[in-house]
Amino acid sequence: MAKRTLRVGYPGNYREIEVDSPDAEPAPWDADSKLAVVGKRSPRLEGADKVTGKAKYTADVKLQGMLVARVLRSPYARATARSIGLAKALKMPGVKAAIEVEKEARYHGQAIAAVAAETEAQAEDAVAAIEVDWAVGEHVVDVEAARKPNAPRVHGGKNPNERGGEAQNTATEEACVTALKKSHATVDITFTTPVVTHSCLESHGSVARWESDGSLTVWDSTQSIFGVRDGLARGFQLPAEKVRVVKEHMGGGFGSKLGMGQHSMIAARLAREAKAPVKLMLTRKEEHLAGGNRPSSVQRVRAGADKDGKLTCLWLQSHGTGGINGGANCAGPLMSLYNCPVRRLWHADVITNASPAAAFRAPGHVQGMFALESTMDELAGKLGLDPIEFRKRNDQNEMRQAEYGEGAKMAGWEARAHLPNSGGRHKARGLGVSASIWGGGGAPGAQARCVISRDGAVEIQCGTQDIGTGTRTIIAMIAAEELGLKPEQVLVKLGDTTLPFSHGSGGSMTAPSVTPAVRAATAAARGRVFEACAKSLKADADNLTAKGGNVVAKGGASIPWAEACSKIAGANVSEQATRAQNFRGYKDGTAGCQFAEVEVDLETGHVQVLRVVAVHDCGRVVNPLLAESQINGGIIQGLSYALLEQRILDDATGRMMNANFSDYRIAGPKEIPEISVVLFDVSNGRTNTGVMGIGEPPIVPTPAAIANAVAHAIGKRITDLPITPDKILAALGKK
Amino acid sequence: MTSPFTFWDARTAEEAAALLSKKGAMALGGGVDLLGEMKEGIRAPEHIVNLRSIPGLDKIQKTDRGWRVGATALLTDIADHADLRKDLPGFAESAEAVATPQIRNQGTIGGNLAQRPRCWYYRAAEFACVKKGGKGCPAEKGENRYLAIFGDGPCHIVHPSDCAPMLVALDARLFLRGPDGARDLPIADFYELPSKNALCEFTLKPGEFIEAVEIPTALPRSTYVKIREKDSFDFAIAACAIAGKIDGDHFTDARVVLGGVAPVPWRSVTAEANLRKNTIADAVEPASNSATDGARPMSQNAWKIPMTKAAVARAIRSFLPR
Amino acid sequence: MSASKPDGLSRRDFLGVTGALAGAGLLAGKSTAGDGDNRPAAGGLGPDPVKFGLRVNGKDHEVAAEPRATLLDVLRDSLDLTGAKKACDRGECGACTVLVDGKAVYACMMLALQARGREIRTVEGLAKGEDLHAVQAAFIEHDGYQCGFCTPGQVMATVALLEKTPSPSGDQIRAGLCGNLCRCAAYNRIFDAAAAASKAK
Repeated sequence: MAKRTLRVGYPGNYREIEVDSPDAEPAPWDADSKLAVVGKRSPRLEGADKVTGKAKYTADVKLQGMLVARVLRSPYARATARSIGLAKALKMPGVKAAIEVEKEARYHGQAIAAVAAETEAQAEDAVAAIEVDWAVGEHVVDVEAARKPNAPRVHGGKNPNERGGEAQNTATEEACVTALKKSHATVDITFTTPVVTHSCLESHGSVARWESDGSLTVWDSTQSIFGVRDGLARGFQLPAEKVRVVKEHMGGGFGSKLGMGQHSMIAARLAREAKAPVKLMLTRKEEHLAGGNRPSSVQRVRAGADKDGKLTCLWLQSHGTGGINGGANCAGPLMSLYNCPVRRLWHADVITNASPAAAFRAPGHVQGMFALESTMDELAGKLGLDPIEFRKRNDQNEMRQAEYGEGAKMAGWEARAHLPNSGGRHKARGLGVSASIWGGGGAPGAQARCVISRDGAVEIQCGTQDIGTGTRTIIAMIAAEELGLKPEQVLVKLGDTTLPFSHGSGGSMTAPSVTPAVRAATAAARGRVFEACAKSLKADADNLTAKGGNVVAKGGASIPWAEACSKIAGANVSEQATRAQNFRGYKDGTAGCQFAEVEVDLETGHVQVLRVVAVHDCGRVVNPLLAESQINGGIIQGLSYALLEQRILDDATGRMMNANFSDYRIAGPKEIPEISVVLFDVSNGRTNTGVMGIGEPPIVPTPAAIANAVAHAIGKRITDLPITPDKILAALGKK
Repeated sequence: MTSPFTFWDARTAEEAAALLSKKGAMALGGGVDLLGEMKEGIRAPEHIVNLRSIPGLDKIQKTDRGWRVGATALLTDIADHADLRKDLPGFAESAEAVATPQIRNQGTIGGNLAQRPRCWYYRAAEFACVKKGGKGCPAEKGENRYLAIFGDGPCHIVHPSDCAPMLVALDARLFLRGPDGARDLPIADFYELPSKNALCEFTLKPGEFIEAVEIPTALPRSTYVKIREKDSFDFAIAACAIAGKIDGDHFTDARVVLGGVAPVPWRSVTAEANLRKNTIADAVEPASNSATDGARPMSQNAWKIPMTKAAVARAIRSFLPR
Repeated sequence: MSASKPDGLSRRDFLGVTGALAGAGLLAGKSTAGDGDNRPAAGGLGPDPVKFGLRVNGKDHEVAAEPRATLLDVLRDSLDLTGAKKACDRGECGACTVLVDGKAVYACMMLALQARGREIRTVEGLAKGEDLHAVQAAFIEHDGYQCGFCTPGQVMATVALLEKTPSPSGDQIRAGLCGNLCRCAAYNRIFDAAAAASKAK
């Protein structure tokens, strides 16, 4: 380890710290680093492929002799297939394989059987010919009904539907009651949030092909190629190296594609049975029914503050359902954001006959922040304090404190008091705020390889995946920075398990995990080029730098990059690096805050978000163009969650009623606010790049900021998401 | 994917009527609604008869009786027709209010008027409700937040068309063609309540199809106001079509028809009366409030009452001088 | 998912129920029980695969498909034009948007047979060799996408919008693109790209 002194912090607040970084790694970038490529707005490298239709997604893969699969899914929320008759289906035209998947159906849409046929139409016709003798059982989909002692047990026997308890290191009820009694102001509010689906435009899907040597190749719409590889290897009891998973482009994941999905196993099983490659893409309805979801929540928040506006107690009692399994805990923000002497959490996951939850962009935090930040506004109101002032008094994060200042200026916070009456007779406006909080520091273990050829070509190989965040582009930018080249001169290979290992793309982990490995590998390979060309420059390799497309010696002599590379002995130099542990550094999480301005139609209850000001930090920003896109996306998904989205199950049958894009509403062009993004530049000194993730932080505060803006506009608080017109009309007493 | 069928290109209206007399035959305009039903597995025609292959059936023309719009005229072409919009602003607005640009580019006026409801239980193959020839309405004790506040069942769908309420307000006539020849009727008579026929919202004889709609220009002032939950793309939560004549500050003739709240376009005679007996400005309150007289909301959809009032109020206010 | 069965009815029974209704659909009334007057003036096509011509991106193609094949199916499966995507298959998301006679349509909700004799344009036909269409270039410059799955549809909807309204206002851009969903939510950048492309013309 080498001791290095770094300048860390953010503009107006820098300090020097000493960190231990691996000897083999280049010196970490800090606030003083002058970078030529990193930090610039740089269009995506795969842009031309995406706008011309050339980019191939799993759905577009076409192989010689490929069959198409379709799945028979349970029309019942709870039923047992006494028998599954495949004989008729197998005799249908074009059908090459049919398999049984599962006899116990615990939710509407559970996979029961599957077929592979020459065409999609044949596969659908064959699925319709599968004969199932159903024994329909009792289901429960309502979260409150499922908690009752006499409710049907979702997992049978005596397995309880509710799995709950108090958190570790949590204050007692008595301590909370006492703290609340002593408080100057208290609130007791129950917030509820719905189940929402990821609704990725590309559904989950796989193309599976068994090779002649008994190995398996799978093209998969996944956020985790190695995760799918390992899952398939386990499922088929193969060594991991016998499974190859490929994903060049992927049409949205948002957390729902982080593990191996059942569809991948089904496709591979059918392919083995049929002795031909099989493609299985879920339909939109299947995607809603079985593609994962964000769990619901019921959060009772009891909170208090003293006369000075300091929190005295935060007490969360929550439950929620992630269907047949899946944690619904959403206490993260309440347990960590603010200083508070007395904090208690009791939470229960409620099991219902609905499809299983999956990680969804900032799991738990979106629900939890909505409740916490709504609570903060209510408390501020009771204290007669400005909502930002109240937050600042309880928030020790100096970055967020500064971010509030920046955001308040842009959002026009000072003129806030006039807003509610500024919309004319039938409209009311409001401005709301919310904090954000997330980790996003990355993890060790990601690997990258840099191969520099004699002709000067540079290739970065990294088994990560670009899920639409721009990973491919920022990898090229990091390498280009090290080599004094342009990003488009770097060829990035990713999305293939034959490449060096990287983690699944989730948890805002990709950029902070991958970029340090890329930088270290590139620096090492560059060192080999310097060694090879040092003689021609009559300089010591240690005195060479790469910039502006040249290799430059300390004295000023330089040769073009390609010429320097031509001195490489052999075909190329190749160096691999593994991402180290995070250094001690400056800050280990991201802060951020958002302001939302809304206009509420007092006649129709319609809420239009006019503008969102988003102030976020994510360490070193590699490419502001892409970081801003992530923030825009998080905000709009948050808006969609706040105002539009909810999975609706028919209580009598347990069936999802709005499994399409017409009745399951996601935000479209007319719902989009003007968005102003401020990227707070933070030098965090935690890795050699100092990059942090920005995928999740921007969705965390949006629903809360919108809810607070609505409350500001109409003077009534909506505690139940989504904030649909019926709820506004009811709050306004309209009949 | 839909069930298989035989596809026929009709070359004349007469030929279409003959082809549609085949067992299991259905007519195809733009196809968006029909294909949607077929993909959901709730409809499986054996024959599909293409009407867009009939030359001239998509004509939009002014006649001595007003405007005649052929059944296969695209909604986009109606919305974009400058002369038609001058005479019948509400009709153009209603066509423009439909769905999305793509659907308006595919969808025909005939298809819009004869589209089937969006009730979740109707559209899901898993349910055999009264509209599909099964028993009862599962929405009565189930999910009914978007369903009807008018009409007495046994089915509680809302009519999904934007153009239909406007054309009822404009007193349009539908021209139908069947194997036995042509006939025409006021468009209001085309639609039937579920109490009369739960299986279908409109009445056509065997082999019959919509050939054209004729709209008189006797009511020169018209508008269509649609309230959606999601502005980008939605069916109406509530809508209001008004057509009439204005003299100075008041309506001398007015027809008020509600959309999205009843199984058929729902004429509000009380709102019309209130609209006629007040100045426009003074009519906003009484007319919008009375528009929901007689409404009988279900367990989840009482919020559509203020929505409906808002649609009516907004429609009336649009006639006030700016 | 096609085999979910309604309560108490087998799939066949159920289709029987709706079969009795057949004709009560789009435009036509209930048919008589038997075949009606069936003058063979127009030949029926299918239900087995039939051959027909499609003109796509200025080129004539002959394809063979069942009448039930949608334009999207034929573009993707028969012509290997996989730019247009099947994301909802119900005309609710716009990922399959192509231009037919200059108008944006949902290829998933149009039978391929309905596109005979018409000029079909797909995202693959926009660029002239290496030269991208102004809309494509603007999408790249303004980062008008993230995952890119909806992008071919967004690009085609934008092209259609600008061909109809060469200098759209902000509201016109939103209205013109409101048939296209982007779950990554690149909307603001898509609007920027549309505005920039309109100026670039």
